[in-house]
Amino acid sequence: MKSIAAMTMAELAAFVQSCLRTRGIDVVLSGGACVSIYSRNRYVSMDLDLINTRFIRPRWSDLRSAMQEIGFADEGGHFAHTDTEILVEFPEGPLSVGEEPVKVIDELRLSTGTLRIISPTDCVKDRLTWYYHDNDRQCLEQAVWVAQEKSTDVREVERWSRAEGKLKEFQRIKSRLLGRP
Amino acid sequence: MLESLFGSRSCERVLLFVLARDQGYPREIARFFETDYRPIRNQLDKLEKGGVLRSRLAGRTRLYSFNPRYPFLRELKALLEKAMIFCPEEIRDKLLMNRRRPRRRGKPL
Repeated sequence: MKSIAAMTMAELAAFVQSCLRTRGIDVVLSGGACVSIYSRNRYVSMDLDLINTRFIRPRWSDLRSAMQEIGFADEGGHFAHTDTEILVEFPEGPLSVGEEPVKVIDELRLSTGTLRIISPTDCVKDRLTWYYHDNDRQCLEQAVWVAQEKSTDVREVERWSRAEGKLKEFQRIKSRLLGRP
Repeated sequence: MLESLFGSRSCERVLLFVLARDQGYPREIARFFETDYRPIRNQLDKLEKGGVLRSRLAGRTRLYSFNPRYPFLRELKALLEKAMIFCPEEIRDKLLMNRRRPRRRGKPL
């Protein structure tokens, strides 16, 4: 097994998830770390957002104890390890993109474990929520990067954008997601 | 009204205030309801942690508003809108009748 210091972001996430899974804690990677992974680090995130997928969320004491077992210390709201700068957080669920639950979870088998991660299409939607609601243009760029690097269902993004009441905004950026100038 | 559902009166007050005014800061909300600052602050923290609210700094003030990415926001707002109808008229008017448009500095009232 690789040392934590040598792990990539995806490997570290898979490692943490696998350890939690042995304790009955099921989490999925969401947020900026997915952009890092899908865009081959065009965007660099420094934290892992792991979201509970069970109906009942795990107790903080159980999370703390599981994380301590692999060397992560509770720093009040997030976990840190001396061998990596990457922080681990457990944002409140449910796992969603805008108003809709995330239904498809991808699994990547890595040397450190199985990484459960939102799909590239949901990652694009996740970034677009920040663009749609907060006009965060950096997140629009991140959505474009993911769409360029990974197979993304742009028609599904369009359907979702309509459901979010953001069809006009989607029409303005559609060509960019499709990789057209 | 919604205290039994939300688990605290402060939580209900915070949510009604933010619904009516779009945003608020702890002292403003506490002052409005003539209550202690601490429970209001705690509820704002709790709701932000839970993803219901989000905050941003405006100068030295932390302003809280609804998190547009909260998946139950539409339903929560519908519930609060209904609760607002049942609010005593005096409180409802005071909450809603709040000038938001800009006023030039130095302009006489």
